[in-house]
Amino acid sequence: MSETGGVLSTVSGGTRSRPMNVVRWLLLSDYLVLALTALYVAALWFFVPEILSPTNLRDVFLQILPLFVAAMGLMMVLMVAQIDLSATSIMAMGCVVGASIMTDQGGYLAEHASAPVVAILAMVAIGLLIGVLNGVCTIVFDMPSFLVTLTTMMFFSGAAVWYTAAHTSSGSSIGGLPPAFIEIGYGGVAGIPYAAIITVALAIVVHLVLTRTVFGRWVRAVGLNPRAAAISGVPVRAVVVGCFALSGLFSALAAIIYTARLEAGTPILGQRILLDVIGAAVIGGVSLFGGKGTVIGVLVGVLFLSVVDNGLQLLGLSLSSVYAIKGGVILVAAVTDAIRHNLMARG
Amino acid sequence: MSDLLLKVSGLNKSFFGVPVLRDVGLELHRGAVLGLVGENGSGKSTTMNILGGVLAKDSGRVELDGEEVAPTNSRDALALGIAFIHQELSLFPNLSVEENIFLDHFPRKFARLPFVDRRTLRDRAQKAIELVDLRVSPVTPVMRLPQGERQLVEIAKALSRQARLIIFDEPTTSLTARETERLFTIIGRLRAQGISIIYISHILGDVLRLCDEIAVLRDGQVVGAGPRDDFTIERLVTLMVGRTIDRLFPERNPVSGPQRTALSVRGVSQPGIVKDISFDLSLGEVLGVSGLMGSGRSELARILFGLDPYSEGEIRVQDAKLPPLAPRAAMDRGMAFLTEDRRGEGLMMEASISDNIVLPSLVEQSSGFLRWLNPSELTKAARDVAERIRVNAKAVDRTAVRTLSGGNQQKVVIAKWLLRAPSIFILDEPTRGIDVGAKYEVYKIINEMVGAGAAVLFISSEIEELIGMADRIMVMGRGEVRGFFSRGSFDRETLMGAALWE
Amino acid sequence: MRKDALSRLDSRTLVLIALRLAPLMLFAILCVAFGLLSDRFISLANFRNILTQSTHVAVMAIGMTFVLLVRGVDLSIGSAMYLVAVTLGLYLPDLPLLVSIPAIILIGVIFGAVNASFITGLRIASFIVTLATLFIGRGFALYLSETRMVFQSDTVQTLGRSSFVGLPWAIWIAASVAAVAWVTLTQTPFGRQIYAVGADPDAAAKAGIRVQAIVFSVFCICGACAAVGALISVSQVGGASATFGYQEEFPVIAAAVLGGTSLFGGRGGVIGSIFGAVLVQTTSNGLVMLNANPYLYPLVNSLIIFVAAWVDGRRRIMTERLEQRKIRVEA
Repeated sequence: MSETGGVLSTVSGGTRSRPMNVVRWLLLSDYLVLALTALYVAALWFFVPEILSPTNLRDVFLQILPLFVAAMGLMMVLMVAQIDLSATSIMAMGCVVGASIMTDQGGYLAEHASAPVVAILAMVAIGLLIGVLNGVCTIVFDMPSFLVTLTTMMFFSGAAVWYTAAHTSSGSSIGGLPPAFIEIGYGGVAGIPYAAIITVALAIVVHLVLTRTVFGRWVRAVGLNPRAAAISGVPVRAVVVGCFALSGLFSALAAIIYTARLEAGTPILGQRILLDVIGAAVIGGVSLFGGKGTVIGVLVGVLFLSVVDNGLQLLGLSLSSVYAIKGGVILVAAVTDAIRHNLMARG
Repeated sequence: MSDLLLKVSGLNKSFFGVPVLRDVGLELHRGAVLGLVGENGSGKSTTMNILGGVLAKDSGRVELDGEEVAPTNSRDALALGIAFIHQELSLFPNLSVEENIFLDHFPRKFARLPFVDRRTLRDRAQKAIELVDLRVSPVTPVMRLPQGERQLVEIAKALSRQARLIIFDEPTTSLTARETERLFTIIGRLRAQGISIIYISHILGDVLRLCDEIAVLRDGQVVGAGPRDDFTIERLVTLMVGRTIDRLFPERNPVSGPQRTALSVRGVSQPGIVKDISFDLSLGEVLGVSGLMGSGRSELARILFGLDPYSEGEIRVQDAKLPPLAPRAAMDRGMAFLTEDRRGEGLMMEASISDNIVLPSLVEQSSGFLRWLNPSELTKAARDVAERIRVNAKAVDRTAVRTLSGGNQQKVVIAKWLLRAPSIFILDEPTRGIDVGAKYEVYKIINEMVGAGAAVLFISSEIEELIGMADRIMVMGRGEVRGFFSRGSFDRETLMGAALWE
Repeated sequence: MRKDALSRLDSRTLVLIALRLAPLMLFAILCVAFGLLSDRFISLANFRNILTQSTHVAVMAIGMTFVLLVRGVDLSIGSAMYLVAVTLGLYLPDLPLLVSIPAIILIGVIFGAVNASFITGLRIASFIVTLATLFIGRGFALYLSETRMVFQSDTVQTLGRSSFVGLPWAIWIAASVAAVAWVTLTQTPFGRQIYAVGADPDAAAKAGIRVQAIVFSVFCICGACAAVGALISVSQVGGASATFGYQEEFPVIAAAVLGGTSLFGGRGGVIGSIFGAVLVQTTSNGLVMLNANPYLYPLVNSLIIFVAAWVDGRRRIMTERLEQRKIRVEA
């Protein structure tokens, strides 16, 4: 959806004042968010010194991992100048379907040794399918992505609720998941959590794809100028659908980790995370206008949001405040992004 | 009240240090029509944009009725009585005719209250459209009007604002002959009412017919001005071009002997766009394509490259049928396409020079199943090509294309295709908007490619450019091929006539 | 004359007309289907019920229409609703309606103005801004309400239960809003300029229209409508829980789009949006009458929105093709 905003580019001439130069450098710098994070932690340490305790650090670390995975997926969609609002409903859907396969309370493959594997495959498949659905509707039917993903979000959230109710007597979650699967949540090997291994592996893959493969370059090109990309032989449609598919896939992968931790399949999984995922990506320098984004940037964004979240919770602020403050943080990130965009266009 | 409505003197304007207007001066009398003629890049649009408030002048003086004026936006210009009717009309198709005319000054019911007085609106709109001979109901949505009638609505809009000066920019490119005649009648009527007109057009015949006075611009300067009787088509052409053809273009050694056919087009049609296009293009040949804007040349290029569909006909590349709607297939067969809109379709402005250059060649430069790329190799390849055609920039992998001059940007686009060593190169207005020095370099590059055996389809609105560069010229009009001319029989006047023919 | 061009125009125009009538046809099909499947559906009382229940969505859809017309979107109306309901219940219960209603409208306007400042001032995409204010607004309101149910004063609850000249107050309020909105959009320069801005914001700016001021105003209007919608809804329900207004933006946008408002700006109107709201409510009502599985509701709703959006997209493409400048064939 195009906006009525615009960017005025004028021939820049003349000198700028000193303080303005500093502000400019700061805004354009890639280290801005890291600096803000450090500042925030330092500030909060006075009030809640346990923010730097090993237990807390470990908690934050574990919390970051699945969020990071989901945010990387969303980054792919943002880079082609689209949006995916259905990420969290994909998580919910995958979660309950996977649980329904594995659960020992009447699951499809209850007590079967292969249950966790099949469940994981099913979750991945769901993520890919819904992602492709999003992509195809957006690019083939020429509908705005936010509307397409809005409707898929509604649809699959509702479907997840229904599915859960149909598969369980209590109606709100499917428990009884096999221990082998739950291990993914908090277990590890040689002291390194499985979740961390998965996440780091994915991060490396995504980074390499973005920087070293043709597909990565194509994604960037489509985001910067789809018409020029098409004329240069880039298969624009396939790239966009691919990005949506990846977003769905990564949502499913994040859901695996979340589900293992919750030890249950629940349709409200991820309900609150949507803003975190989008916000982390935007804060991490992924431009809403497309063509710009890095894995490290997303990591920094996720880090910042999780730390903010953690600090606010340690301070004992109510959930509603956390809600509101995080919304504010997203806004600030979007503002910074817009200012950055305007500054760069003015040259 | 003097007879002189508009007096422009000493107008100067530069973009990024490149002067586009140099000491431009014009005079226009009340009720007169001034024709403004010049090639692309001659400064016509810039001058009019300054008058219309779209651009600011660097120095100079614009006087309207003896008073100096300096409009800073189009609203100012309108208030001064200057109406600028662009080639791309600025109407709102979802609103009605009357609403479009009075959009920023609706007649109100009860003086200050914000309610539109529909009846007065209807009456005034009716009167305005009668002045321009438009026979539709004022409540018709503009969406339903054909181009010619929409233009009349624009004129009615100008009249409703009590315009003293109306500037027409290429008004007849999308009009039928009948609509054009109607426009001319209305211009005559406007003159009789004392409204002055500036008429910009490539169609020299029309200019000679309509205008009382003519001014010719070249390279940002007025090279000729005076009453219409001082001019003939030939004199206008000479003034527009200014130099003899020989010194404008680099030496060409036309490839001798029969060459292989690179591209063969038979009966290609797309309803409403192009009709029955047939031609052959050989290796080592430059086929120029001339015609007015709107004659279907760019559309044809897009069809050939596979970006747009066609309903009938066949395109063969080196004797194998080319599948439609497949740019990748075209590229694999050695085709390249330089579009006329380099900012919108040719470049990723925010990306670096090397990113832009390597984009079409990524697949070829990659290795392995996963299509790995080596960034330093890519940068090296980009740098080599960029140096070959002398793109003026230091670090190709760190300089954003946005910061380059128009000429250098165009070179980047050429470099992007050169990297693929294409055998069939479609160029759409390759020298549009770039300065003379860069133009010469682009011509040299083209000659080199052709000398090495490539085939070039050269689309241009500048007839001299085609005369200087092409072996043959294909003239298009209204979506059809009008004729072919060979180098031996390039007759400037006939070509001009054919190209500017209505 | 140009016979071929004319007949081609006709078939295209026919398709365009069919597309435009699609929502109406959908409504007719739905009514017939529900009527056949449930004998409780077709009754005067039920239709009055549908109308009454669709009023708050209708009012907010009208506000959303203003925003959609200029190519924007407001995702924060649900939170604005909640904030208004909380304020009304906690801080303004003792005031007479004549005072409290303008007060909550003002709150809505301010909410919209906050959105608008970021959108017009900093040129940030409206969906990101309103996505953020969705959370900020609800967070702030939850803080005020301490996540507890906020009951409304007797005055407000009476409003929800009583009628005037046979029709519930809700319908009168909605009708007034609709009337004012309709007059604004069709009879004032401001309204007509909204359509121009939506069609082509750059050309509008060049034509001397104050585009930023118009965009600012429409978001304020949307906020005001959210406030009125909140009043209607909370008066009918009696209190506002922590999830009041949650995800309300979906049916509202759906209603507007179903009613012919284009997501791409420049097209839409009050009557269409009201119709869209009634259509959405009819679907929900029908499902209830059918004793349908409540889990089906979001599925059916989302499908209808999807179809509406798809139709809108097709309509836009066809209109673009019709307007495309082509080489004209001489007669």
